[in-house]
Amino acid sequence: MPGGRIELVSLTKRFAEVAVDDIDLQIASGEFFSLLGPSGCGKTTTLRLIAGFEQPTAGKILLDGTDVSAVPPHKRNVNTVFQSYALFPFLNVFDNVAFGLRSRKLPSSELSSRVCSALDLVKLKSFEKRRPGQLSGGQQQRVALARALVLQPSVLLLDEPLGALDAKLRRSLKVELKALQEQVGITFLYVTHDQEEALTMSDRLAVMRDGKIVQIGSPTEVYEEPSDTYVADFLGVSNLMEVDITERGPGGQCQAKLGDCVLTVDHGGQEAPDRSHAVIRPERVKIEEFGSTGPNRVPAMVERLVYLGSSTQVFLRLAAGTDLQAVLQNDGSQTAWSQGTPVHAFLAPDALRVLAGGGEVAEQGDDLPIDIAAPGALQAG
Amino acid sequence: MTSVTARSSTSGAAAKTAGGSTRLRPWRNPWRHPWLLEGFTWLYLLWSLAPIAIAVLFSFNSGKSQASYQGLSWRWYWGDPVNSVFHNPQLQSSVFTTLKLSAYTTLIAVPIGVAFALGINRWRSKTAASFNFVMILSFVVPELIFGVAMFFVFTKLFTGIQLGLLAEILGLVTWNVSWPAIIVQARLVGIGRHYEEAAADLGATQWQTMRRVMMPLLWPAIFASAILVFSGVIDDFVIVDLLSSNASNTPMSVIIYSTQHGGNGGPALNALATVMLVMSFVVAILGFLGYRFMTRGQRIDGQQALATIAGAEN
Repeated sequence: MPGGRIELVSLTKRFAEVAVDDIDLQIASGEFFSLLGPSGCGKTTTLRLIAGFEQPTAGKILLDGTDVSAVPPHKRNVNTVFQSYALFPFLNVFDNVAFGLRSRKLPSSELSSRVCSALDLVKLKSFEKRRPGQLSGGQQQRVALARALVLQPSVLLLDEPLGALDAKLRRSLKVELKALQEQVGITFLYVTHDQEEALTMSDRLAVMRDGKIVQIGSPTEVYEEPSDTYVADFLGVSNLMEVDITERGPGGQCQAKLGDCVLTVDHGGQEAPDRSHAVIRPERVKIEEFGSTGPNRVPAMVERLVYLGSSTQVFLRLAAGTDLQAVLQNDGSQTAWSQGTPVHAFLAPDALRVLAGGGEVAEQGDDLPIDIAAPGALQAG
Repeated sequence: MTSVTARSSTSGAAAKTAGGSTRLRPWRNPWRHPWLLEGFTWLYLLWSLAPIAIAVLFSFNSGKSQASYQGLSWRWYWGDPVNSVFHNPQLQSSVFTTLKLSAYTTLIAVPIGVAFALGINRWRSKTAASFNFVMILSFVVPELIFGVAMFFVFTKLFTGIQLGLLAEILGLVTWNVSWPAIIVQARLVGIGRHYEEAAADLGATQWQTMRRVMMPLLWPAIFASAILVFSGVIDDFVIVDLLSSNASNTPMSVIIYSTQHGGNGGPALNALATVMLVMSFVVAILGFLGYRFMTRGQRIDGQQALATIAGAEN
């Protein structure tokens, strides 16, 4: 079904404070679009505005070119998968999925065939007589999906639908959800605070902060070319180094001074201010023996090693005082570095980028739980 | 195999040291059976239930005394052609008056209370909060004060309504409307807005949402409050005593009190009291079973149902 084009025109929502601040956004028909940001950034409010649960303070919401800002939720051709699923506990799976169709007064044969095909779509055909309370979290989530999809909306809104599930289930459902979206071909607007979910599933995504969109782009663009430190940090690239740009070459290349070392940086040189942040992804940091020579090598100390199974996280402290993370694949080819060893970190020019925007650094929960810089932090705890 | 043997022998040794060297005095032993508390509980049960059991027993007395027992009979229920509950017009009518008052009060107070709860839940303002406070206030105001106030309302202010059945019902409805108002509101808060939003999202109008989603979710709370109102009216004495006018609109509680107090008691009164007791029990059991039935599949166990039906009363 074609359609499902969403356009937000200077959309603003104010409660006590501004929750959504003058957002302009176009989402194409059939696109898998994610709104990514920490809690309180306005992503869920944006979704609720599109669903019609909130009225915008200012601005317009266009659905396939028609302004729906004044249309009540039950008349909008969008459906929502709630974070809590909100399955009706007093109805069984079949009746939950049939709920929306029953207000449309369909003949019962069509109703049951549509419910059945929706349940087939989410592979829950044999569960139709169960009540939501008798289903696992993942199954409930599928019922919520079927309940929304059975109405053949032009847009499906998903509010952190995987948030309540455990990590393993989340991983497999991510793949299924993307496949499902490709199969039904409707627009998915997906709200999440999990950068991995947003990166794996989206065609495009928008990173939000304080009710504003900070960056829009494809997962590769946003991940590889973060516009500022906030985006870089939020997408899990927390290797930010304060540098001074001393020389700008052609095509974004520049020389950046980090402490006593001068690094050649391949990307971002034109827009970045003189004092800016250089960023490198942990998987691109190479660790070499102390004393190895060549350009873009900085002396460092191995502070801590964290074994992650398929890889090892290495926390480095640069001589310039900056902390740096490296991720080494445990493929047998790497030297096993031990804690406290002096090394040289090789930061390849093509892996380095200086950022145009400063911005603050997002709060991320997945860093080391203790302050590794403080010696004896473990023992003290 | 060896490891199992090894482990059991170690734990055996550990147990021996614990039991042998550091045996605790009974009152120092935190694992001891709580004999004292248990005994006290039994004593309390006996103390509170024995008088009721004795009163019930005397309702079956074949003699005329409330004090000396002369064998079992149904005499005071219907056997006696003049003084049994069944044949004495005053006693008989009091049973029906109680049932009438309970039924009418429940039928009027519950819908009003539910509407009130829904209204307050959506209307957020200082005024709404103070209305809500008034609801809770009726749990705090002594019933006697309320009853006397109502008495003056119907004897001095609205003299168009005279003391009697209508005044009693109005008084009881006013007094009892807090139950559904508070219980349904608590349920509404517990439910949250998700289900309503989901229903709207799936294309249901506000009216359809109310009928197809909110009502099924609220039924247990509405039912529980109906049970509380019904059984509360069976027990009520103060309001009905003040607002009743003659024998035709005097319920069981007032008859039992005034007859016994006037020195005209007899086993027929015990029989009437037993009828009242059974009525309350039946309502409570119906409430418990009904609540469990309504919340089946929602992971509410018997304990919780009981707490909702009975616990709220304390």
